[in-house]
This record gives sequence, structure tokens and C-alpha cells, in this order.
Amino acid sequence: MDKNFPEEFTQVIKFDPPLYKQRYQFVKDLVEKYKPKKVADLGCADCSLLWMLKFCSCIEVLAGLDICANVMKEKMHTLSPLPADYLQPSERSLTVTLHHGSVAHKDPCMLGFDLVTCIELIEHLEESELKKFPEVVFGFMAPSIVVISTPNSEFNPLLPRVMSYRHPDHKFEWSQAEFQSWALETARCYDYSVEFTGVGHPPTGMEKVGFCTQIGVFVRKYPQTAQPVLSEKPTEAVYKTVFKAVYPSLKDGKYLQNAVISEVIFTAQIIKHRLMPKPEESGDDPERKSKLQPSMDSSSDYLGKLVVEKSMEPFVRGNKLCIPLTTIFAFPKVNRLCGTFEKLCKLIAGKVTLSTDGSAVMVSIEQENEEN
Amino acid sequence: QQLQQLQQLHVPPAVSEEPGGHGRLRGGDTVLQERRPEGLQVSSGLQDLSLRDRGGRRRDFHDLGVNTRQAMVHVQESKTGFSGRMVKLSTNHFRLTSRPQWALYQYHVGYSPEMEARRLRSALLFQHEETIGKTHAFDGSILFLPKKLESRVTELFSRTRNGEDVKITVTLTNELPPTSPTCLQFYNIIFRRLLKMLNLQQIGRNYYNPSDPVSIPNHRLMVWLGFTSSILQYEENIMLCADVSHKVLRGETVLDTMHSIHSQVGEERFRDACAKELIGLIVLTKYNNRTYRIDDIDWDNNPKGTFRKSDGSEMSFVEYYKKQYNIEISDWMQPVLISQMKRRRGNIQGSVALIPELCSLTGLTDKMRSDFNMMKDLAIHTRLPPEQRQRELGRLLNYIQKDDNVQKELRNWGLSFDYKSVSFTGRVVQGEKIYQSGAMFDYNPQFADWTKETRGVPLIRAVPLDSWLLIYTRRNYDVANTLLQSLFKVTPAMGIRMSKPSMIEVDDRTETYLRVLQQRVTPDTNIVFCILSSSRKDKYDAIKKYLCTDCPIPSQCVLARTLSKPQTIMTVATKIALQMNCKMGGELWSVEIPLKQVMIVGIDCYHDTVSGKQSIAGFVASLNQPVTRWFSRCVVQSRGQELVDGIKACLQTALRNWSKWNKCLPSRIFVYRDGVGDGQLNTLVNYEVPQFLDCLKSIGTDYSPRLTVIVVKKRVGARFFAEVGGGFKNPPPGTVVDTVVTRPEWYDFFIVSQTVKNGCVAPTHYNVVYDTSQLKPDHVQRLTYKLCHMYYNWSGIIRVPAPCQYAHKLAFLVGQSIHREPNLVLSDRLYYL
Repeated sequence: MDKNFPEEFTQVIKFDPPLYKQRYQFVKDLVEKYKPKKVADLGCADCSLLWMLKFCSCIEVLAGLDICANVMKEKMHTLSPLPADYLQPSERSLTVTLHHGSVAHKDPCMLGFDLVTCIELIEHLEESELKKFPEVVFGFMAPSIVVISTPNSEFNPLLPRVMSYRHPDHKFEWSQAEFQSWALETARCYDYSVEFTGVGHPPTGMEKVGFCTQIGVFVRKYPQTAQPVLSEKPTEAVYKTVFKAVYPSLKDGKYLQNAVISEVIFTAQIIKHRLMPKPEESGDDPERKSKLQPSMDSSSDYLGKLVVEKSMEPFVRGNKLCIPLTTIFAFPKVNRLCGTFEKLCKLIAGKVTLSTDGSAVMVSIEQENEEN
Repeated sequence: QQLQQLQQLHVPPAVSEEPGGHGRLRGGDTVLQERRPEGLQVSSGLQDLSLRDRGGRRRDFHDLGVNTRQAMVHVQESKTGFSGRMVKLSTNHFRLTSRPQWALYQYHVGYSPEMEARRLRSALLFQHEETIGKTHAFDGSILFLPKKLESRVTELFSRTRNGEDVKITVTLTNELPPTSPTCLQFYNIIFRRLLKMLNLQQIGRNYYNPSDPVSIPNHRLMVWLGFTSSILQYEENIMLCADVSHKVLRGETVLDTMHSIHSQVGEERFRDACAKELIGLIVLTKYNNRTYRIDDIDWDNNPKGTFRKSDGSEMSFVEYYKKQYNIEISDWMQPVLISQMKRRRGNIQGSVALIPELCSLTGLTDKMRSDFNMMKDLAIHTRLPPEQRQRELGRLLNYIQKDDNVQKELRNWGLSFDYKSVSFTGRVVQGEKIYQSGAMFDYNPQFADWTKETRGVPLIRAVPLDSWLLIYTRRNYDVANTLLQSLFKVTPAMGIRMSKPSMIEVDDRTETYLRVLQQRVTPDTNIVFCILSSSRKDKYDAIKKYLCTDCPIPSQCVLARTLSKPQTIMTVATKIALQMNCKMGGELWSVEIPLKQVMIVGIDCYHDTVSGKQSIAGFVASLNQPVTRWFSRCVVQSRGQELVDGIKACLQTALRNWSKWNKCLPSRIFVYRDGVGDGQLNTLVNYEVPQFLDCLKSIGTDYSPRLTVIVVKKRVGARFFAEVGGGFKNPPPGTVVDTVVTRPEWYDFFIVSQTVKNGCVAPTHYNVVYDTSQLKPDHVQRLTYKLCHMYYNWSGIIRVPAPCQYAHKLAFLVGQSIHREPNLVLSDRLYYL
């Protein structure tokens, strides 16, 4: 069920970019416009659309559903977090889940979504499934927006190698009128509005055949109820979860704490090196000295902050350099991570060596013991 | 279409157009789309399969199929030694078991009409899962199944999306026994699948667990724990060799690093410093799971620059990353990193442009490695003692054992593992006696060090310091005097006669040093001693270059800081005195070498990672019977040039020198060859060894010495643990392993020769690839171990035979500082120590 296969590949009419990409771009534009937090892709196949959507920074929950587990599994690893996601956890949280199941069945895991996409899905449904589909998607899931795309059969004569349907697995292909009447009826029934558009422009002079892919965008007319209405009996889980990835995020306390601790210690090290450079760096090396000077200015924003307030100045006590937490909090990165000073104190408590009154970070300034 | 894309310039990652382009697929399907000639060899098919496996460069990392033992009659029966006491060892190898009569079935899959895309080929084939089964491995042309299909040729019919009917012919081409090389590669692929199923992240060739990182905020480092694994045919069993691996990642981007370099060195030296620090490093990109090596920095380009996409249109980087990954590049002035794509087959060559801001650094730079504190902080996490290492390994095995999906996959293939590591007995050969001017010493075998024992004992050959220079800066005047006093204290006991040096004060400029050297060094100068005030490499390089090439005089450079601590100055002075003595042609100690008329050769290579242009082979050969004097040469070769010709010339001059010293030619030659990469063994055996033989032949028709060539490998996956009182300890120095975990097709053995203070000791692997010595394996092992005692810069046993370490030192000095062959006047001294 590889819906991405470029059906127009060998045709006279060639879409650029390929039609499947135009469909995905359409969804992406929609996401940019409405900024949904939770998005589900029904009939997600090899997860290509989900993969594109994971880069959309507004999305926090992504779900995919397909009737064929193998197709999903083939590339589902592309939805896993990357090493870099662990190295620099992002601000937003993101969970990606893949379910194995049918759009003809209801499963509570599909509740609460803002956007549900059904790209080139419905034409693969058997009559019985298609009958249940509106109730599942519009009645049960009831997201704010539903996008449905399907081939426009009126365009088929322009695709020379297409005899009956564009794909052997298609159960039907609708004309514009057929799709629109089905869509309008469905919208009316579940209190949605619908607008029609499409991708894949017809050749000039043949505009009346319409887009190669027709698209209906459904918008729910009634406001979101706090708790999704469970019209009938509470539904039991019928889908099988085949994949779940939780992305590292600064919203997760563990990652936030790690990031803050690491930033605080690193900042303290920067301050220490600025204040007391290693002896060899300031040695009697004329070549070096001259070149070191100007560059210090270019990055003096750190030090500039230090002299603002007297109480913020680091001081030496014994063999330790004490750097007031207020100084460290003034560093933009630390500031951005913690937000408030209290949170900074809370996050580093017990993890970073502090002075007895807890107001300063202590850094050892023992001459480093170097053996060679 | 994609092929074109790869040949052109380059765009960000080659799979840009393919969502989900993952890992090291490197252009994904491209290679597989190329039509293979029909009737191809069995094994080449599997190489394609392994290529799909990430990190798979088309190279046989395990040197499978290089069968050198069969040509050596004297080790056909047995290659094991006998001396020493037994020691109970366990290792990090785990037996792979398969059910009886297990076989892997290999099929060729043909399509009519031809289908080009691999994905389509797979999709069409797996429409018939009820026939083929759920368990399979398919690379687009070759199919592996754990079961035999009913008939030899199976015809299947599928229909494409376009309604085209396709006939698929699945033909059995091979029934592979568990031990076939193809099967071994297959096991490795399957095992990698398992690691992926365990949600480990692949970086490079290994797999790491991202969920539990160790962070070292002081240095902005992060360490991921992971595993290396390989499955191979060992002496009696097919085994999984698994080891704990640590990946050092850095919590900063290349752009962050550039900023901090800028603040350290300033504008003027900024670009040079960036090149030095960054080129050669491996980066991870933010948007896909690939690693790239930084080969160059394009300072004339920036994110606003454009590249040509596969469809021929131009696009800027800023636009591309926004569109493709929704990433906003914040710094539009940053340069662009260039990474060359290496791909041997299909002539696909090109480079990828990367944005510094989107690249995270991995690994350590040379600068970081030389940061003592950083390495110390790292070592706490990465140097696991034996007990802990075994425990971590146990955890991996436990994951494998507990994971249902993994177990199911293994079951489907009919495979399983022994979850307890293999144990066996090794031998600890006796320690050597150290001879020094008539005195004889034993050393404590536990420490493998005789610094204390030989203190105050005259050296075998002490070279007098009659005329020498001591150069220092004004600031180090006191340091210079302290050093001098200390040297006067320690040298008499060694038997070194020392006169007062010419003390020369200089200002700390490279030109001044060079001017002083030009004016003051005379042909009578024994050695030049420079006290440097900083570890600035350019000064060191300039001094070394001048004194190794234009004006060949031994030299000793020491950092003032090293001499500044009163409590260690005597120890330091002792070491320096010994080192200077060696550099001037002195000899320190010896061990008993029972073989007569033997010449020992050591070879190692240095690859310049920064410019990537030069490789240097260091070559050393013993000159005398007690192997205390060494002749040396080196070969500087540019990229792509073969090493062997240069080495042939080295061997010729070494033989000439040996005969000058001994008034005859050696009757035995041992070559210890280090620096042979994974997968290069075949080249070594087929090209380098014949060159040695050729060279010997060219000396004279009546000259046919016995030749032994031993490949030395320090980086091996095997680890040994001595079972002591129910716990695990490092095996003692002198532990020899030549059974169970060695390879049946090789004459090979392991020796643990050194000791380590913390962490696990790494055994060194010795592979005798050519041997007409007729010596028993025991003797070859003993000789090898003896040579590990002969490195004069360390009064203890080292990890490799001394000639390898000397060759390494020489190649390193030339590669790092001198860049051309040093003057041959120095060739009979250890000036490169």
C-alpha cells in the first residue's frame, strides 16, 4: 500500500514537485496555519508524512494508524529521536506513537486530537469500512480539523496508463461530484463545515476536470467540549501499539535538571578561565600576547555582566573560587533554562558544590597537576 | 536520478529528497539500483546486504577469508605454546548456537519485467509472505531464509500499482552451513538488527544507549555507554565478541566551538586554529542520524549560499533547512563545512556541505586528549575495572535475553546465544631477567616495571656529554640551573660523563631559537637541550625539523613546567638523562635473546588526519645481537601511493647496515608489522610480504634467510579476565592466549604484556602471516614477549614489541613535525624518542 509511489512517474503529465509531495506540503501548510498540538495520520503507511510532521515545532503528539503493520515497521525507526535530540533536548515535548488497526474501529487512543489527516486513504476502504469511517473519525475522534484527500477520477483520462483505477488496491475512485456529495453529507451529519480544494493542476484548457488529487478540509463547527463525548459505551482499546517514542524534552524534569547543571558548571568554568587564565597562556610569549588582546574584547559580554553589581563579583576563598549564583543566573543560557532564580537554586541543589550559605558556586582553583 | 544527485556538488545530505533517509544508507537505494551482472558470486551478494546495514562500507573488517595458516606446515597440527603456568581466564566471547542441521538458504530473486527500485522489488516479493515466511533478509536481489522453500525454483506473480503484472522467480542458489563466511556476515547483520530492536542508537559502527548518559559538565562532554559486537568463527565455535564501548559526545555544536576558538586565538589565527581543531573530527547532524567527517571548511560560503538540488534547481541552505526540517539557521555568517563522500564502487564521489550550527561534535580532539584533567575526569567513567566491565556486558546480554521481540527474531532464524561467557585456561610465561652492565635483575611481575631495581646502576653504553647546548628563556633561568644541578647528580651513577653545557639565553621566538641553533651548533655538538616555556607546537616543530634534517644533531625539548616542581625534579632528571643517552646512541639494558644472527624489524604507520595528504611509515631494524641498537628510516608517501616500494628500500639499507655491524648478513629476520587496519590483511599478505621476499632475493642468489612476518594489532575487541577467588581481575603481564578465541585459519596468539593502573588491560593480538623460521610457536611467543621489554623510554614492559613502538615514535615525529625523511646521519640512534 505504498501510496507514495509516484503514480505519475511514467505519465505524460508530470507534476513538479511530485504529487505525493504536494499532498504532504498541503498538510504541512495546514499545520503551519492552524498550529495543532496533536496530529493523527490515518493510513500512515511508511510514515513519510509523520516524519515530515515531526519537524513542525507546534506538534507535541503525533500518532499514526495503519492496517498493515509491516509497512509501518519498515521505516518506523526514522521516527525515533536522534542522538542530537538527546544532546540538546528541545523545549517542546514530542511523543510519536504508531498503532496497528482499522479506521473502521474506535479506539480511545485516538481521542483528543486537533488534526486528523487521511491522505489517499478512503479509496482503499471496502464498502463496509467506508460506511463506518465517518462515525469513527467525525463522530468518535471528533478533531477540530479533518483533511481527506482522494483521487479525482475525472482526471484519469489524462493519465494514459491508468485503465480503471490508479492502483490495483483502490476500491473506487470518485468524480468531483461524488466526493463532494459524500463530504457534504458527512459534514452535515457531524456538524462540520467543509471546503474543497486539491493538488495537481489540470493542463490549461482542461480546467474543468479539476485537481488530480481532490482534497476536503473539514472544520468542526461546535467548540471543543472539555471531555470528548463518549456517545455510547466507553470504548476499549482495539489497536495494537507497534511503536512509541518519547522525545527528550526540557519539559521533562530529568532533562531540564541535567541541562541546567551542565550549563551552570560550564559557566562557572568559563568565569574561572576568564579570571585566572592558565600560566602558559599569559607566559612571556610576545607572539601570543599581542593576538590575545583584541579577541578578549570581542567576547567580553560575559565579563561585562560581571562588573555590573559589586555583590555579583566572584571572590576567592582559600583554594576555591566562589561565583555568586546571581552572576551565573545572569548568563542568558542559564536564565532562559531556569526562568526564575528560585528554580535555578532548586534544580542544582545537591548536584553542584555550593558555598555554605548556598549563595555561590565553588570552583577549585588548585594548580592542575599535570604529569607527562 | 539519485545517482546524479550524488555526483553533483552537494547539497546537504544526499538523501535530502527522501524523507526518512536514515543512517548511513548514504544515498540509500542508489547502489542497489545498479544492475548487477547475472550469475554473480555468492558472497558479493551478501556484501550488498551488509551495505544496507548502516556503517557498512564495503570492507571486510574481520579479514575473513585470509587463510594464512595453511601455507605454514609446521603449525598445521598445533599453533599453541607450552611454557608458563596455567591461569584460569574468562573472556567477552559468547557462543552462538544453532539447532542441529541448521542451514541458511540463499535465493536469487529475479523480476520479469525488470523492476528497478529496491523498495518496489521488496514490496512485490513480500506480497507473498505466506509462501516466503515472515522471517527473511532481502537486499533487492538476494534473499536469505531460515527455511527451504518447497521447490528449487518458485514462481510468484504480483501486480504493481500501475497494474503491471510481474513474474518473480525465486531460485535457490545455496544452502549455507553455519560456518560459511557468508553466514558469518549474515549473523552480524542479524545481530545489529537485534541491537536496533533494543532501541540502541547507532553511531559509527557501534550501538549506544542514549537514555542513560553520563554528563561531564566541566568539559561539556557526554558519555554514552554502548557495545561493540562482532560474530566470528573462532577456534572451535562461532562466537559473539561483545565489548563495552563509550562514545564521547559534546554538548556543543561546531559553531559553539568556533566561537570559543575565536575568543581564544583572535581573528588573525582564527581560521588556522579552526582547521587544526576541527578537520578530521566526526560530527553528528541535528536533523538526521548520520555521521560525517569534517574534511574542509569553506570560508567563502555561508548559509545564504546555494546548492544545486537533484532536479537542477538552486536553493539556499537557509531555505532548504527551513523547508525540509523546519530548522531556522540563526547565524547567517558562519562558514560551511565540507565532508567528502568516499565510495569506492560506482565512482560516486562528491562532497556534502554542512552547516556548523547544525552539527554536534563527537569524540575528542588531540587538544582535549592532551588535557590531563579532562582525560582524568573521563577515565572515571570510561575505564571500567574488570568486574564492572563484565557487569555492563552482562546487562547487554540480559537485555537480549529478556526482550521478547529479540528472542522471537532469534528463534525465527533458529539461533541462540550462550549467555555465559566462555572460560578457558591461558598461560603466564615467566618474567624476563634484565641485564645491565654485568648486573642482573628480576622485576616484580605484578608491576612489570624495573625503574627502582636499575636505579644507580651503570648503563650498558653511556655516551658522554662533552659538548652540548642548553637553551632557555630568561624566565626559565632558574629552572635551567636546577635541571643542570640535578643532571650532575644523577648522571655519574649511570656512568655518563657530563661536562658543563653552553648555556644560551634566548627570547621566546621561534626565529631566535633557529638563529641560535644556526650559530652555535657545531659538528662536535652531542645534543641540544631546549627548555620551552609553552607547549606551542610550531616552535617545537621548527626546532625538531632543523635538527633532524638540515643539521642532524640529537635534541631534547622539555617544557619548563615539567621541571618546575622540586619534589619531582630528580625523577624527571633521571628520565631525561636516560632519554638523552638513547638519543645519542647509548644503550640502557637488555634481555636474553637466544637466537643468533637475527635482525628484528618494526614497522608502523602514521596518517596525517589534518591535511589528510601524507602517510608516514616508520621503519626500524635491530643492528646488533642483543638488539640494543636500532637502525631507522621512514617513508613519506602522498595519498594513494602504495607503501610497499618504500619499505623495500628500507629493508635493503637495513640489511646493508646490519652486515656492516656484524660482518655478515642475518640468517633470521623477524618483521613486526603494526598499523595494519581492519580489512587490510589481505593486501599485506598478498603485496607486502612478497615485496620483502623480493628484496631478500635481490641481495644475492645464495642468500635465503628465514623470514617471519607478524602483524601486531593493539585495537582488538577481545578482553581477558583472570578468575581469582570468584571475582575478575586483570590477567598478569606475560599472559599468553593461543586457544579458543584465536582464529582457526591463522597462526595467531594474544599476549597481555603490560599492566594498567585502572580499567581493563587490552591484550595485543599477534598474527604470524608468514613464517619460514621453523621455530615452535612457543619460541615465537617468547621472543615477542621479550621484545616488549626493550623499549628504552619506559623501564617496564610495554604493550607491543619495542621495534613497533620505536617505529611508531619515528613515524609520529616525522608526521607531526618534520614532514620529510630525517637525515640518515641520525639513523643509527634513537633520536626520535
